[in-house]
Amino acid sequence: MSTTAKPVKVHQHIRRKPSDIVFDTCIYIFFGLFTLLCLFPFYYLFINTISANDAVTSGRVNFYPIGIHFQNYVALKDVADLGSSVIVTIARTIIGTALMVIVSAWAGFLVTKQKMWRRSFWYRALVITMYFNAGLIPWYMNMLMLGLTNNFLAYILPGMIAPYNIILVKTYIESIPASLEESAVIDGAGTPTVFLKIILPLSVPILATISIFGAVGNWNSFQDSLLLMSGRPDMYTLQHRLYVYLNQSSNLAALVSGSGSLSTQAAENMLNSRVIKYTVSMVTIVPILLVYPFMQRYFVKGIMLGAVKG
Amino acid sequence: METNAVPRNGRSAAAQPLSGSQIRLWIARIVITVTGLLVFFPSVNPGRITYMINNNASLFTVATSYATITNTLAYPLRRGMVEAWNFYVLMGGSAVVILGILLSCAGACMSLGNNRMKRTALKLPMIGAVGMGVGLGLIYWAYTLVNTAAQASESAMNRLQPCMPSGIYTYAALAVLIFVSSLVAYTGLPREKEEKMAMEEKFRLFLMFLPVLLLTFVFCYLPIYGWRFAFFDYKVGDTLSMSSFVGLKWFTYLFQNSATLSDLLRVMRNTLIMSGLGIATSWLPIAFAVLLAEVRSTRFQRVVQTLTTIPNFISWVLVYAIAFAIFSTDGFINSFLRNVMHVAGANTDYLASADFTWIKMLLWGTWKGLGWSAIVYIAGIAGIDQQLYEAAKVDGANRYQCIRHITIPGLMPTYMVMLLMSVAGMLSNGMEQYLVFENAINHNVIEVLDLYVYNIGIKAGLIPLSTVVGVFKSLIGVTLLFGANGISKLVRGESII
Repeated sequence: MSTTAKPVKVHQHIRRKPSDIVFDTCIYIFFGLFTLLCLFPFYYLFINTISANDAVTSGRVNFYPIGIHFQNYVALKDVADLGSSVIVTIARTIIGTALMVIVSAWAGFLVTKQKMWRRSFWYRALVITMYFNAGLIPWYMNMLMLGLTNNFLAYILPGMIAPYNIILVKTYIESIPASLEESAVIDGAGTPTVFLKIILPLSVPILATISIFGAVGNWNSFQDSLLLMSGRPDMYTLQHRLYVYLNQSSNLAALVSGSGSLSTQAAENMLNSRVIKYTVSMVTIVPILLVYPFMQRYFVKGIMLGAVKG
Repeated sequence: METNAVPRNGRSAAAQPLSGSQIRLWIARIVITVTGLLVFFPSVNPGRITYMINNNASLFTVATSYATITNTLAYPLRRGMVEAWNFYVLMGGSAVVILGILLSCAGACMSLGNNRMKRTALKLPMIGAVGMGVGLGLIYWAYTLVNTAAQASESAMNRLQPCMPSGIYTYAALAVLIFVSSLVAYTGLPREKEEKMAMEEKFRLFLMFLPVLLLTFVFCYLPIYGWRFAFFDYKVGDTLSMSSFVGLKWFTYLFQNSATLSDLLRVMRNTLIMSGLGIATSWLPIAFAVLLAEVRSTRFQRVVQTLTTIPNFISWVLVYAIAFAIFSTDGFINSFLRNVMHVAGANTDYLASADFTWIKMLLWGTWKGLGWSAIVYIAGIAGIDQQLYEAAKVDGANRYQCIRHITIPGLMPTYMVMLLMSVAGMLSNGMEQYLVFENAINHNVIEVLDLYVYNIGIKAGLIPLSTVVGVFKSLIGVTLLFGANGISKLVRGESII
């Protein structure tokens, strides 16, 4: 079975009947509309962030930008707590993803080793955690007990174990011919050497896939920040920060730091909190939108591997 | 797949009765493992030498975080009631205890090697136990220092509140146990002629895997220990003691208190309706994939597939941001109505309404997930043998008949797995979507089980009650999963997990 979801042509019609033409047109219209529905919100957010703010306030920016300027993005530097959230989110995305990939690669490699003592038992213990968990509150109390509240490590450590990714890596490594590894072993390579020199270079495609998934997951993380960082607003993730902004019905004064550093120009442009909300949303979405089209094949590969596994 | 020669059959080896020396070794290993785990348990923290130290701090926290120890002691430290170095002694002592335990753990790991290695390995816990003793001594010294400082005045006593931590006795007992069990295991080792230190490959592989297992244990299995809160009267910040043990009080409370019972029924209704709607529309991705495959232009297919999957990769918070941009009082819909359609007074806040909430949530879920869910089926269609279609054409089948009799049956196995998984996950709608869309108006119809647990547990602080709900949810969830798996085995002869 193919591991990529390449678009396919199911039928090669020799000639088209009128009913076919009607049917085809309907399909094109349906998909055109649905695609538009998926894209328009992002476009709408974007044009509102670059339009003149009075035009936004009066609701005149609906389909095209009016009075293009980029002051809103510049003014974000004055929005309270946003900078630290960006840094925290980038840090956890990089560190968290890197460690997750390392652990998944190592664990996925080791669970292919039939010789391991009680291998299937440990593997099962690992896989069960995908289907069973103790619940939100016990998990929270556990993190509290471990001192992982209001602590950056809370973003990193629990995410290191990703059973689903371990399964993906395992499945992939099992498809690598065993002879490669055997010849290395005959040449005297130990397990770590085999892993580093043989398995790791050959598993790059699957590792790329899981790192993309991991990075998106980390970037989008919200729940752990919400639960664990209540005492450290400076360590909120970007999503959590955005959530806080979105729920602030108050005006500009509450959102922009009152330190007096705000330039008058920025103050004029940042006329309402709606624009700030849009702009922060845009900043939060853009990395995903930029990365996604280039990485799409990795995502598709990932879900296909999972589906093959069943 | 076997990557090496025929594996040694581990099962038959395990069936052999353990010899006396092996049993002694296992006793030592288990004692060491238990001690190693206790490092993370705050209830047996030997480093809690004053009541002022956070009772959620474990020995590990005491050893590593000066800030955690002293954040409630800022005043006496500033007033010179107690010297800061006393707490450095405490940290040092705790660190020494932990080092001793680490050494013991290293010994326990190495004891999986051959006899030569075992002999070396078992010396480590003995040294480690002595180290633990030294560390405990340091902690005790820190205690006496703080205690002496506290005796100086009434206010110092109130500010410092020294206490002899019972954890010291526990750890001292464990150190003795480690020492004795290692010694016993050591003396029981058969004396063989000298050999090189070595370890069987199966154990080497296991030890390499051990860190992964430890992380899994700490973050996935240790939370189950948190179920104990269901049996206690507990508020965040309390210390758990047997005096607050209430048995099954919260279990009966949940069902006998009319307020919580009606809450629970309401929440279950929301949960089941939303899951039910999701299951009822689970055929949509198939329709999406089948129709997309009918599109002639490959480029159009690609573009649609790429663009419709984007919403899947943004978080629910961002979905809410989009909902806010489109549906709020000054959002797209209203400003469009006002400025383009000239409908005066169009300023409905569609988000602050409880009408059709279930349908709205379903639509948001569909908007976010449809394109992505369809990918599995698109690939499924690509995997269907083209010869089937050609044969059908020869027999005069039109495109609808091809879809009906070839494509759909070809996708059914995948669909069945997806369907059973969603039935098994019926109680877990996740909380993010409902949390971000929740407000005072739609609260009653949007609150699903996961969100309810969050609301009563974290927001309202009713830890025991929310734990009870969580326990039920976990158990029912596992039952459903095994049920779905059983059905799958029965019908398809294949398991889904």
